[in-house]
Amino acid sequence: MKKTIFGLAFSKLRYHKSRTLLTGIAIMLTTMLLMAIGTCGIAMLDMNRQLALSQSNYHASFRLTQPQQLSILTKHINVESLDTIETFAQIVNGKMNGSLNFYKTIKDGIYFSNLELTEGHFPEKEDEICSAPAFFERVGANPVVGGKVTLSFRVNGKGDIQTKEFTISGLLAVREVSAEISDSRIAWGAYISDALRTQYEEAGLYAASPAAYIRFYGEDELSYDEMKSKINSTASDIGLDEEHTSINNPYLATMTDPGTETMLIVAAISLIVILFSTLVIYSIYYVGVITDIQEIGKLKALGASRRQIARLFFCQGGIVCAFAIPLGLLIGYFLPYFLFPIVIQAINRTALDPSFLAFLKTASHQLHMFSLPFLLLVVIAVLFTVWVSLLKPIRMAKKVSPVEAIRYQENSVNHKNRRGHLAVKVSTLTWANLSRNKRRTVVTILTMGLSCVLFICVSAVLSSTSTEDIARRSIEKGDFRISLDYSRHDTEYPENNLDQLVQKNYFSETFLQQLSSIEGVASIERDRGNILSSTDIPSAVYEDYDNRITLSYFTREDVPQLSAHLKAGTIDYDRMTAGNEILCTHIYSFDIYGLALGDVLPLTLYDGDREVPLTVTLTALTQPEDSYSYPLFIMTEDTWNSLGLTFDPTTDIFLHVKEAQYDSVKKALQDIVAENEHFRLYSLDEEMLIGRSSVSIVKYPIYLLLLLIAVIGFMNLINTMITSIITRKKELGILQALGLSNRQLVRMLAGEGIVFTFGTLLISLTLGNLLGYLLYLYAKEVHFMSLSRYHYPLWETIGLTLVLLAGQAAITLFISKKVEKESLIERIRSQE
Amino acid sequence: MNEHANIILRTDSLCKYYGAGDNLVKAVDCINLEIKQGEFVSIVGKSGSGKSTLLHMLGALDNPTSGSVWLDGENISSFKENRLSQIRRRKIGFIFQSYNLIPSLNVWENIVLPLGLDDQDVDETFIQDIIRTLGLDNKRKNLPNTLSGGQQQRCAIARAIAAKPSIILADEPTGNLDTKTGDEVMALLKSSAKKYGQTLVVITHNEEIAQMADRTIMIADGKVVG
Repeated sequence: MKKTIFGLAFSKLRYHKSRTLLTGIAIMLTTMLLMAIGTCGIAMLDMNRQLALSQSNYHASFRLTQPQQLSILTKHINVESLDTIETFAQIVNGKMNGSLNFYKTIKDGIYFSNLELTEGHFPEKEDEICSAPAFFERVGANPVVGGKVTLSFRVNGKGDIQTKEFTISGLLAVREVSAEISDSRIAWGAYISDALRTQYEEAGLYAASPAAYIRFYGEDELSYDEMKSKINSTASDIGLDEEHTSINNPYLATMTDPGTETMLIVAAISLIVILFSTLVIYSIYYVGVITDIQEIGKLKALGASRRQIARLFFCQGGIVCAFAIPLGLLIGYFLPYFLFPIVIQAINRTALDPSFLAFLKTASHQLHMFSLPFLLLVVIAVLFTVWVSLLKPIRMAKKVSPVEAIRYQENSVNHKNRRGHLAVKVSTLTWANLSRNKRRTVVTILTMGLSCVLFICVSAVLSSTSTEDIARRSIEKGDFRISLDYSRHDTEYPENNLDQLVQKNYFSETFLQQLSSIEGVASIERDRGNILSSTDIPSAVYEDYDNRITLSYFTREDVPQLSAHLKAGTIDYDRMTAGNEILCTHIYSFDIYGLALGDVLPLTLYDGDREVPLTVTLTALTQPEDSYSYPLFIMTEDTWNSLGLTFDPTTDIFLHVKEAQYDSVKKALQDIVAENEHFRLYSLDEEMLIGRSSVSIVKYPIYLLLLLIAVIGFMNLINTMITSIITRKKELGILQALGLSNRQLVRMLAGEGIVFTFGTLLISLTLGNLLGYLLYLYAKEVHFMSLSRYHYPLWETIGLTLVLLAGQAAITLFISKKVEKESLIERIRSQE
Repeated sequence: MNEHANIILRTDSLCKYYGAGDNLVKAVDCINLEIKQGEFVSIVGKSGSGKSTLLHMLGALDNPTSGSVWLDGENISSFKENRLSQIRRRKIGFIFQSYNLIPSLNVWENIVLPLGLDDQDVDETFIQDIIRTLGLDNKRKNLPNTLSGGQQQRCAIARAIAAKPSIILADEPTGNLDTKTGDEVMALLKSSAKKYGQTLVVITHNEEIAQMADRTIMIADGKVVG
């Protein structure tokens, strides 16, 4: 008996070739997507592991404060490996941010990617030095082992400037640095010998404060928190508090993380895929049962039991799965196997982090992507999907009574009548067909719509992570920003502090005129000024910033924008002016520093060499979209003006330039800025480049994912249109026998497709935009990609519309061509 | 009057073969026939004799293997698909054994469908008249699946007449109906055709129907035998 059912199932599959093929494709695609998403997840986890490992494998670094700490640490039971790095001296070379360091391995086992020698050896003699070739080029030396380089430096970052000639003893692994990034934003480092450091130490000119880089036992067994408490207890054993310990989070978190977060994301996406697939496969079987009702009735008339009918369907599903799942698994594995490196390459092009770049070049092809348990899980998930999709159609099939079935016509809907139209046009036919199958029409539009809603949603977030927004954090207006590079409270070099710098009046009218005279500069704007302040009473805010922070102001015009994002208190410009009230613009800092509304702070403001006392009350908390352009506290403009500042408090100016002369202006500005060590130049193109790199790391993988999900949604449209035509083959034949021309046929089918397309668009543009905005708000709340401004995903919407229209048109054309191939007679006679 | 002038439908060595070699089936084998304007012709023959294939070629639904079909003095076997669909909606009315109404359209819409496909205005009085003649007056808004077989076939007849075609081709129009209903339908078909001056070609097994015709053509093994 079982054999009969199997044979029947098999022959039914062969008879309904196109339906079998569609089910097969749907199941194959589902398998493929689940497999592909999971494989990407596994690859991502593996890449993170390899990436974490690629930089360094230490767990934590301790900034040691006393010499004996090192010896305790060396013998400590928890310590697996130990290296120390000391900053011996700061290099003095224009604006170059460089240091001379001393590196020593105490207990073997720690690896630093940027301390791999490519040539030579680590410095041994007093005058030896090693670093990356780029370092030597930067200081004007020839990067060859044995070469000479003269450096000026200040030991311990203070005292007199020393100048010394070194011999290059070794070259470290190449550190690639994009030529487009300003020099002052790179930290350079070179390594000197024990001999040199001892010499200075013995002369009493150098006090070592080494940082210990440590690996602890238990990386493989312990959780992140357990490792962390082990690190902290070790630190307290040698008398160090948490402030002096720093955990290598990227490494430790990756190594102790079983990948829960990634797997949760994979599971969430897989659920969405399963949901869509269930809808698609269900609708294929649903239509299948409806068109087969007569046949099912005949089987029942011949004595088939309800159980046998159910088995017949499960058998059909099983046979299709047997072919589709292995194929899906294969494609689903190999697609990411080849695509993943391509996406990584795309990121590669814009990524600026040199170690990341170096890593990607070597490892992207050797990622570990395969997992057998996961593969089995996919198989189970797909079988489950098919099973669920079959439940309802089988229930329907079981209920079929033999008599009813033989009399059944597909359209024995509940309606008896139809109001209809006086004249019948092609559009009447379109509508009549869509409304006859309301449920199928709605299911199709919903599945398509949902996948498009997903697309619009995600692109709302992605388009809000605009490169320009990120760039605008550094340059709020215009094309260039010249910023005063000041310290707040440098006791060693007080001349670098803001209160000293304002006395130099760097942003004088003369200077601004000099800038205006550069050809191509359209206008120059001063940013609102900043003033240093300190307080006499203990406050976490002031302690953290070494007793000084900057203050600025807001204008009456800023009030609506500040009020729009008010989190606590009220903003009343006049009241605030009258009461010397200030508002806080950063929620995060507000919480961290334990601030409260009503806090009263007696401040001292530093207007050059003049000290202005001012007592302020904190009365409001807000976080405007451009909060990054404000310091922590701002007062009203009137309060600011009442301070009667004698020095110009400008710290930043913005330059608008004519597009054609951008490059020449940049060159000129670079030259001007180079003359003043306190100036720092930000240019829009560089900031855009930095922005692009951070956006693309997130953007490319997500777009790949959206593409895959879009494929399922589209599958459903194809399925609906094909089944809708296959089941109406005879009807279409009759229509043609009655004189429907091929063009009219295409118009009728296209009409149906357009209803699907517009229905889909309607859902995605309403629901999609609404959810997209909500998702944006959520993403902003959790600081994803540091979103600050909502961008309507216009291009994505236009793209989606075009793809839907084009895709639907292509399907219509394809199907009608296929229909035309069969002769009219065959079509009229089919299913008779 | 010239006898040729009255001929609305003519076939010239019309052949339809399927397969090849040993499997060659001559469904229609070199048939020459002429049907006059306004004539009621019945085509009779056993199952598989080729009568349906012949009718399909007469109605521009199928292409002949060789030979030609002349409708209103035009050789339609040489026409392209677009022109054929135009011929089908303007000059030919079809009636099938299984009614073949469009299930999503109501009775009225089914009847005026050929007009709509041809972008013609609906002559309401004319259609009303047909509906009344065929006794479908109170079924205008019904969907086909709520009608009895006889009613469905009457609707199909109305549809065939609606576009005022020159010729109506009916393939066993009473095949699915009981004798009484069959007779009624046949009588209606004949009288309607007469009333609107249409030529009627009917395929049938039924001796009685065959005898209602002005002329009967016997087909056996793809050939006209009488």
